[in-house]
Amino acid sequence: MENLGVIISLIIIFGGLAWLFWRSVQGREVERRIIFVFIFVAVAAPILFPITFEEKATPVVKSLFDKIESLPEKSKVLISFDYDPAMQPEVQPMANALSRHCLEKGHTVVFMCLWATGQSLLTATLESVIKPEFPELVDGTDYISVGYKAGNEGVLNVIVSDFIRMFPTDINGTPLDSTVIFQDIKSCADFDLILAVGGGRPGPKEWVLFVGDPAKVPIGVGVAAVVAPQLYPYYPRQVVGILGGVKGAAEYETELAAAHPRFDEVDKPGLRMMGPQTLAHMVIMAFIVIGNIAMFRARRKAE
Amino acid sequence: MKLQLLLLSLLILMFCVPVGAQEDSAMVDSLAVDSLAALPVPAPVTDIGLSDLPNDHGHAVVVEWTPSTDDGSGLANVVGYQINYGLSKDGPLDSVGFVPSASGSYEHVGSKDENDRTYIPDHTDLYYRVDVKTVDGRLLVSAEVAGPVQSSGQWYNTGRTAVLIAVALFSFLTIFYVQQAKAGKELYIRPIGGIEAVDDAIGRATEMGRPILYVLGLGTAADVATIASFTILGRVAKRVAEYQTPIMVPTYDPIVMTVAQEVVKSSYMDAGRPDDYDEDSVHFVTQSQFAYVAAVNGMMLRERPATCVYMGKFFAESLLLAETGSVAGSIQISGTDEIAQIPFFIVACDYTLIGEELYAASAYLGREPKLLGSLKAQDWGKGLFVVLSIIGIILANFGVESFGALFEVAD
Amino acid sequence: MKRSTYLVFGGVVVLFALSWIFKSSVLEDGVYSNVWEAFKVTLAAFLTLAIFSFLYKDNPLYKFAEHLYVGISAAYWMCLAFWSTVVGNFIPRTFESLSAAFKQPYQPSSWDILGIPGNIIYIIPVLLGIMLLMRLSSKYGWLSRWPLAFIVGTTAGLNFVRYLRSDFVAQVSSTFVPLLGTPDSVSVWSSFDLNATGPVVALLSNWVIFIGVFSGLVYFFFSKEHTGWFGRTSKVGIWVLMITFGASFGYTVMGRISLLVGRITYLFGDWLGIVQS
Repeated sequence: MENLGVIISLIIIFGGLAWLFWRSVQGREVERRIIFVFIFVAVAAPILFPITFEEKATPVVKSLFDKIESLPEKSKVLISFDYDPAMQPEVQPMANALSRHCLEKGHTVVFMCLWATGQSLLTATLESVIKPEFPELVDGTDYISVGYKAGNEGVLNVIVSDFIRMFPTDINGTPLDSTVIFQDIKSCADFDLILAVGGGRPGPKEWVLFVGDPAKVPIGVGVAAVVAPQLYPYYPRQVVGILGGVKGAAEYETELAAAHPRFDEVDKPGLRMMGPQTLAHMVIMAFIVIGNIAMFRARRKAE
Repeated sequence: MKLQLLLLSLLILMFCVPVGAQEDSAMVDSLAVDSLAALPVPAPVTDIGLSDLPNDHGHAVVVEWTPSTDDGSGLANVVGYQINYGLSKDGPLDSVGFVPSASGSYEHVGSKDENDRTYIPDHTDLYYRVDVKTVDGRLLVSAEVAGPVQSSGQWYNTGRTAVLIAVALFSFLTIFYVQQAKAGKELYIRPIGGIEAVDDAIGRATEMGRPILYVLGLGTAADVATIASFTILGRVAKRVAEYQTPIMVPTYDPIVMTVAQEVVKSSYMDAGRPDDYDEDSVHFVTQSQFAYVAAVNGMMLRERPATCVYMGKFFAESLLLAETGSVAGSIQISGTDEIAQIPFFIVACDYTLIGEELYAASAYLGREPKLLGSLKAQDWGKGLFVVLSIIGIILANFGVESFGALFEVAD
Repeated sequence: MKRSTYLVFGGVVVLFALSWIFKSSVLEDGVYSNVWEAFKVTLAAFLTLAIFSFLYKDNPLYKFAEHLYVGISAAYWMCLAFWSTVVGNFIPRTFESLSAAFKQPYQPSSWDILGIPGNIIYIIPVLLGIMLLMRLSSKYGWLSRWPLAFIVGTTAGLNFVRYLRSDFVAQVSSTFVPLLGTPDSVSVWSSFDLNATGPVVALLSNWVIFIGVFSGLVYFFFSKEHTGWFGRTSKVGIWVLMITFGASFGYTVMGRISLLVGRITYLFGDWLGIVQS
């Protein structure tokens, strides 16, 4: 039934594209709402009739994965949730995957946010991923959430030398210096790895500028696709690896499931989204080609 | 009888095997113990050197030593080294760290907070001892206690010399060229396409009798792009005042609104039309990104401006703005330093100032000595970057890495 | 309003009510949580569709959703600013009694000025903030220039060294790439392996980096007119820039499609329940 649905969807989409091409070649205008319908069908069809593609981690993703794999057990990792619900569909899967990986490897994880809206998304990860999948881990001993602090880059300026001055307690009100985790952590320099997940400002770039380079702490980033190109100049000297958009999330989820089969059955939203993503991209590429052909024909006619 | 004897032998055999195995394992265990006991006691460390950790704020000491002669000799009797510290040579000395075998140094970094248990006092005699830890868990306490050493903070971090040189160089170039501009020297800036289109676009709006929409972006008043946009707004507002064309300036940031009101008001005064200035033309909308763009889009579709100018810091809403402006039939001129948004402005707008062209445009229009001087300094900086890159590339081809090391900034 | 508009509005209200009732009946848990949860999901779905209706044309439903969003976001950020900045940052550092009232841990100062706790220093940013608000007064508006100057100066000072260090000095050394292969050039050319991680591709990447950086910098050189060789190099630079922007555009399209996928998954999953959300 699903395969039939996929086939019918593809016939409709590519048939429609052929009609669009013919119309453009004839020089007839195409209503923009038709374009919107195409995009909607290209995205909705693979959601209704799932198409999954195999993903293989690219070097920028693999290097971050290998870094987390290679850290000794009980390494201290800081994960910062610096995004809002607008970025959630593409960033939340990578935040969940990175959290899973770190906890599976036995690392001690500190969660924080530089965005106010990140707090609820961090809670979503704690409630839907960490507590159900790692029931044996103890909040305060194996991981801890210190929540959100206003101040943007000002927060980074402080925590690079004195973490507890900015975050005196965790989100439950427990003083950090009384917790097991923060016995050995005074500043960001005491972390073995910092993972900045987000996009926008403050975000991964600010983590590199204000913490990674001054404190010489390895930084790994998971970013919204729109911000990813800006971080490539920092790779590989200033950032360990980059997860760019939902593609990066899908690659990381695949790599995680391959290395830790326990996560093979876990929902992989990144991988799931690559089906509609791929089809939509193909439709957009077809639009670009058709549009350019129509434009060149129109120019020639005008001449 | 034979059967009974057979059964008895079998029973004895069954009993003997585990016992034998135990004896074997006991033998193995005793062998292990014996082999551990047989391991020679490793030699202690020698030549313990103590020094203050350089380039820090104090409260840290570097402990160095020559590892035990038995470390790495194949005897496998050295697990690592335990570092002990105290305020007196005669003790007590507390353990502060452990490093694995083959290590020859340890950075003892303490807290500056007196109440913290890891506090190390500055300008105070400190003593250290390095003990060898053996594979059976024994600790070979060495007799030698090294010291005293005193930790202290440094005012200058030598690892940041490259940054200091860059700061000094840029500051000198900027001040030099600003002085040159103030002295009246002509500083050439090449023409920038988008700026020349602004006047034409304003004329178009006047002919069509439709307003001009100027969007300052989502930056704060401290952002360079917003500051550059203020200069361009001043120019646009002056033209608009001269042609008596309405202008709309919806702002995202309240402080930007106050500065923009000042800029537009003074432009109207410069044009000799202070009474035409409408304070409501520059107004605050909201500080939520998509709510702001929803409001501006609504404004575009209702008011149908002839020209839309987007100059400043933009994020995800850039294409929404440009696309709606296109639907509204406006001519669009944009400029931003947000690299992620430039592609959208390029495809959707008629003219786009890419990155630094926005800053150059504000210098080109305003002709302020400070703007011109800083632009010139930046150009020199780019030239320097090219020269250094070429030198570095040539040396890299010959395998010389030391030049690149000069640009490493330590902390 | 036209009759058709009333009909559309009426239809939307009826559909909303029907969806709410149906959703309440299919959810598990108690009655109250069902109804409330169903209302939230249905409202979110209808607001999503109202915003999407803009793709057809501007209409009152879109306007309603837009104004609702503007109003709620203004109120939300105002509350957030109070709770995160005033209650989260200011009160714990200055007022012990208020800290207890707001259930925030009081952060006493470790130093004092003539017996007065050092935390008194946090009054200064409050005063600067009040001066900034003076902008609303036509008589005392000039006072706002001082805190504005402080903000601009502090930001510039904090960022100047950071950006110079990470975005200039560090990037200079990143461009020191070999263009003629390894010193032992035989190893690069002997096998001509076109593997993505092999030496030939690495060498080609180095050339792309060199040409791209060099020509891009020439394009952004404003002190000389772009003529002759300089102009041609500048043209190469603008080509490199446009290719980069195209790649960046593609990345951003991916991001936007991801958001659309997320929204449609919400509509089909959480609202209609026909797919896994």
